[in-house]
Amino acid sequence: MSEACEPRSHLVYGWAWLVACLTFPLIWLGGLVTTHDAGMAVPDWPGTFGYNLFLYPISTWVFGPFDLFVEHGHRLLASLVGLLAIFLCWFAYKYEQRRWARMVCYAFLGAIISQGLLGGARVLLDARTAAMIHGCTGPLVFTLGCFVVMACSKDWYEARPVPISKGLRRVAVALFLFSIVQLFLGAQLRHSQPTWIPSFFMSIVHTHLTMAMIILGLILWVFAIVRRNPNRQVVELRAPSSMLVAIVIAQVALGFATWVANYATPWMELTPWLARYTVQGKGFWESMIVTGHQATGSLLIVCSLWLTCRISIRGRVIEDKLVERKAIEDGEQIVSTTQPSLMVVGENG
Amino acid sequence: MFLLDFRCYSRFSTSIVFGCALVFLTGLLGCSGEKIEYQANFLHAASVMSDSDEPEIRSTARQASQATTELLGPIDAPEWPADIESVVDMDKVRRSAGPVGRDKSKVENGLFRKHCVQCHGLSGDGFGPASALLAPYPRDFRRGSFKFKSTPIGRKPTHADIVKTLENGLPGTAMPAFRTLNESEEFAKDVDALAHYVRFMAIRGELERRVLVALANGDSQQGHPDLLSRVANDWREADSYAIAVPEWKTLSETELQGSIARGKELFQSELTACAKCHGGNADGKGISQDYDDWTKDWTIRAGLDPANKAEWKAMKKYGALKPVLDPARNLHLGVFRGGATRQEIYTRLVVGIEGSPMPAVARKQNDNPGLTEENILDLVEYVLSVSSLPVSGPAPTREVKDERSL
Repeated sequence: MSEACEPRSHLVYGWAWLVACLTFPLIWLGGLVTTHDAGMAVPDWPGTFGYNLFLYPISTWVFGPFDLFVEHGHRLLASLVGLLAIFLCWFAYKYEQRRWARMVCYAFLGAIISQGLLGGARVLLDARTAAMIHGCTGPLVFTLGCFVVMACSKDWYEARPVPISKGLRRVAVALFLFSIVQLFLGAQLRHSQPTWIPSFFMSIVHTHLTMAMIILGLILWVFAIVRRNPNRQVVELRAPSSMLVAIVIAQVALGFATWVANYATPWMELTPWLARYTVQGKGFWESMIVTGHQATGSLLIVCSLWLTCRISIRGRVIEDKLVERKAIEDGEQIVSTTQPSLMVVGENG
Repeated sequence: MFLLDFRCYSRFSTSIVFGCALVFLTGLLGCSGEKIEYQANFLHAASVMSDSDEPEIRSTARQASQATTELLGPIDAPEWPADIESVVDMDKVRRSAGPVGRDKSKVENGLFRKHCVQCHGLSGDGFGPASALLAPYPRDFRRGSFKFKSTPIGRKPTHADIVKTLENGLPGTAMPAFRTLNESEEFAKDVDALAHYVRFMAIRGELERRVLVALANGDSQQGHPDLLSRVANDWREADSYAIAVPEWKTLSETELQGSIARGKELFQSELTACAKCHGGNADGKGISQDYDDWTKDWTIRAGLDPANKAEWKAMKKYGALKPVLDPARNLHLGVFRGGATRQEIYTRLVVGIEGSPMPAVARKQNDNPGLTEENILDLVEYVLSVSSLPVSGPAPTREVKDERSL
């Protein structure tokens, strides 16, 4: 733990914030590419219709077909994020004194480059499988970017331990892993192959729904544990747990809306509105809902990582409830809440 | 205490990089295995060859698919025999087929896979990945039957009918409205191109079915171009069978109420038998327990009871989806999938809904009992009056220009 005493870099922290904030719209744009099946809207790579990526005429890009707009825009923004990540690594190399934190920055850059190459392979091979993998790893790269922010934050640096039950830690880790599994399942549905048999697609849908219920249950459980505790010994976990509840409620609503926007409902006579609803092929709001469901899934992963990290850096596992009660009575569980949360990526998205 | 040790995150991040690289390589290796081809019509083969064993059924279905492909080309490169007059625009068909993407000249191709394949499947068989979860199931084009059209039952839909369904979608179902595409100059021709491809797939599917029956009956494999000519001819004649919709008079309030009252009487009468399925109150609570023709095709016509799982389950291995009833519509919901204008409801009554239990009304001819034109107009007013929709005016018409004057 000696490295935790070394000074962190404010520049690296601020720059990591910037990169992470730009990575989220990149997830949105990538989602729009999938929603509009625009992965092959530009048939060459790394150029755009024979032009250098950065020299493609802006008027043709902005006022051209929408699928070309989102695909080329996705590439431009990805290039910008990659460029900023290079600077992040340079700043980390110069100013960040914790070796592991520098390594995380380098890993983030490596992940961005890998993601770019994967996107290029998707175009050059015209392969939906590559698109699906690209869609899975995109949110993970975003999560890694947010982890850089967390690692460089004051919150992490000045963390002091508080007593936490073992179950809470396990649930947090499980929540993070389940969120990633859920991302993979969602990406399968988004990039389903036309050759799939219906029962395979249906099984993935059912697994996705089951996993959603498990994640919802875990989040509500964490929220209840954190909120119901009268001694406030886990007060530092209130922000991530509350944020998780807000995100998961939005995500469940978006998930239902996504299905309706894509396929209407199987119970069309449930209400007159559903009965009359006509799916709009490639409609604006439909696209936003479907893409929003994917993007919010990324936030769920980030937020569950935030919770996991807070538990990890603050949590001192109490093996026994009696010991826990004693620790609470001793007053060592009260943690100053004057420190501002520096993992605001999870809060604001 | 893995998570408590900050230094372990360097290993963690290294693992992520390796993980990404592994996923990247897996993707590269896995991408080459995507083989796209027409799916043979195993289900129809099983229904017409119910006495045969599975290998023979599958073999015959593949033969039929192969013979059809020899005439009409593979899935990524459709073609039309030079010696048969085409009923579709093959340039538009080729543009709609194949993989999604723009070519170097920025023309977008693969429209069917972009907009339709998720439900209708690569072969237009209605067995797309999402099909099993939808209600109603997506349409199988291969029977050449379409529900909402302006031609009588047994006749093919016009090109304009297909365009209309593509533009307006079907409310309460997964069939989207692609009207937004037409609002953009860029996509204005996409719907028309898709309609040509739907017709092509229907022709191909019907040809495949006929070839399959010929093979099952032990007929020679010769003569398939003749079968194609016959199928194509049915489509060529479609426009001539489109019904004429009468001009609609503006009714006074008194006339309208009278018309609705007469329509209600007709609705509940034995003459129309509307109430039998739709219920006396038009709330869909009739006694009808029927299936659509796409289900009957492989169940009842193959001697299987669709309500008996032990019987139809044997067809699951050929791709059959669970049979579901085709219920009569609750007219109070105001959902008219074929359109909610007076003209469109008139058309539904006069030509029925092909493939569904909804028949065409019996017309009065000579001494035969049936409905007169006035009776049908009264029925239309009654149907609109029970729906919760505001009564709409004539349907906005849009001329669909077919450059080949098909």
